[in-house]
Amino acid sequence: MEGVEVIAKPLRIDSDQHRRAPLDGETMAAFAIFALCIILIVGARFISPALGGWDHVETTLVLASFLIVVAFGQGLVILVGGLDLSVASMITLGGVLSTTLVGSYDAGAWALPAVIVFCGLLGALNGVGAGYLNIPPFIMTMAMGVIVYSGCLGYTKGSPRGSSPELFVYLMKAQWLGVPVAIVFIALFALGGWSVQRRTAFGRRLYAVGSNRAAAFIAGVRVRRITMSAYIVSAVCAGFTGMMLVGYANGATLRMGDSYLLPSIAAVVVGGSSILGGRGSFIGTVGGAILLTTLSTIILALGVPQGWRTVIEGMIVLVALLMLREQLYQAVSRIFSRP
Amino acid sequence: MTAITARSTAMRAQTWWRPLSDGAVVITIIYLLLFAIYAMNEPSALSIFSITSLINNSTPLALAAAGATLVIVCRGFDLSVAGVVSVTNVVMAVQPLEGPWGALGSLFACLAIGGFIGLINGYLVAYLRLQSIASTLGVMIVCQGVALVILDAPGGWVAEWVSYELTDVLFGVLPVSGLILLGVVGLWLIFLRSDLAVAIYAIGADETSAALSGIVTRRVRLLAYVGAGLLYACAGYMLSAQTATGNPTAGTPFIILTFAAVAIGGTSFSGGSGGVIGSIIGAATLMLLQKVLFSTGVSSFYTGLFQGVILILAILFRGAVVALAARRSAA
Repeated sequence: MEGVEVIAKPLRIDSDQHRRAPLDGETMAAFAIFALCIILIVGARFISPALGGWDHVETTLVLASFLIVVAFGQGLVILVGGLDLSVASMITLGGVLSTTLVGSYDAGAWALPAVIVFCGLLGALNGVGAGYLNIPPFIMTMAMGVIVYSGCLGYTKGSPRGSSPELFVYLMKAQWLGVPVAIVFIALFALGGWSVQRRTAFGRRLYAVGSNRAAAFIAGVRVRRITMSAYIVSAVCAGFTGMMLVGYANGATLRMGDSYLLPSIAAVVVGGSSILGGRGSFIGTVGGAILLTTLSTIILALGVPQGWRTVIEGMIVLVALLMLREQLYQAVSRIFSRP
Repeated sequence: MTAITARSTAMRAQTWWRPLSDGAVVITIIYLLLFAIYAMNEPSALSIFSITSLINNSTPLALAAAGATLVIVCRGFDLSVAGVVSVTNVVMAVQPLEGPWGALGSLFACLAIGGFIGLINGYLVAYLRLQSIASTLGVMIVCQGVALVILDAPGGWVAEWVSYELTDVLFGVLPVSGLILLGVVGLWLIFLRSDLAVAIYAIGADETSAALSGIVTRRVRLLAYVGAGLLYACAGYMLSAQTATGNPTAGTPFIILTFAAVAIGGTSFSGGSGGVIGSIIGAATLMLLQKVLFSTGVSSFYTGLFQGVILILAILFRGAVVALAARRSAA
């Protein structure tokens, strides 16, 4: 036991040193990701003349907006040391409920907020299981995902009907002075998400819980409540993403959320957050989401079959994990902080 | 702290009979109760045909759950089950080898695939120290992609020998797949006598103590993932025998069902307890539950709802039992 203590001490000093300039390193790494996106988009001109222009940037940002919103919630859950595997079903739920309510009941203004609140309640259940009842987070959220999906299946009898809420059609399709509203929205969302995570007491508490539960508890943070709130935010974001998707695609399908579950985790990991929690910034996640979307638009243009696309997606997750292990982000920050 | 120490010493002293104790017994009773309900609703339930089809349905999941148990006992998670089952299934459908020797050949091919994927998982988790959920998730996605590359849409035919003989009934009473499951249980009971089994339980209970008492934790962990991969491959093999066709997404439902089977079989997700027998009966219970729901007229849309609720309840029940035992041993 003494041996373990001796080994543990220098490690602790080491991690204190990291903590000294967390913002700089992470922000620099995020800039590196954005730079990589720009290089990829410009380079895509060589693959197809249709790519590489402002249109390509616009499409990429609009497509990335779904991933950015769902990855914000996923990022908060990962930040507190959890994992939310129910986001796919929550996206489907948000889409299915909003189209059905708007389409068949001619519902009033209360319909959309009600859907969001319902998603939040299910997220709270996730939080109760993972935070209060000590069920492993990924089991709890996986079970919730299956339950919610099964509920959607039964509720729609297998074929969702209805029409998209006009508010979200406007959000995803309209333009202001030639700029899509979706891009303005996602820029504001990124700024808001970043400030919540970095500039509020709530955000600080999330970091505290993620990096050391026991220490956070002793410091007076209500660990369980904070954990639960992260799951609530995640479910709300996923439900909102579902509404954005139906606004974009004019209708819900039961499988609409599936293609966002793994990318939401990948965006957070690629963006430099630790999968173990306690470390990461939302700007990095936004960069990760845009990078993944850029890659997928380019791979799509290459005409690679679905199978190889999936192989590449999996490889990206593994490579991101390996690079994080090699402390790539510290290496990057060291390069940038050199005088 | 004292409660934890007392509990883990008690656990270690009881290593040999523990796999057959609490969890496995509880789930067996639940299984028998469910079966009674099923038999009351469905008078044909006791026929050899119906029992054989029940066992045939349960075998793939039971094998997969047995594999996952190895990893979970040494406090890891493995999501690659979906990938291994899909890849072996499409390989069986694209390259059917006829006759008993062909069947043996494909079995070895499947085992090679499963062992290789398990080796990658084990290397990533044990040697590169990557977080197990995230890295096996990555491996699973890659495998699903590989399955799609081999076969891009459901189709193909599994060799006739495999799909007929392995789902058949010997001497009119013994289902072949049931014998295979009994074989796995037998191997498990023999395996429990080995040092490796003790090491796996020791690492799951307390990794630091295990390392300090001379267990090479990295190698044991790697072997647990390889063993899991081999069993997932058997699951894919038996699934192919049962469905007789290939489907690149055949493995996807296995993720949740495997974890649910392990959880209701009495294996704790915090490692160091439980065993393969409980997981096999857990898997059989889940498949029986589907039949019971069907026979009582619940819409198949809601099957997932019941599975999810049962998974959560099983873990809560397990947690309550552990907490009670801890309180008793502390008193």
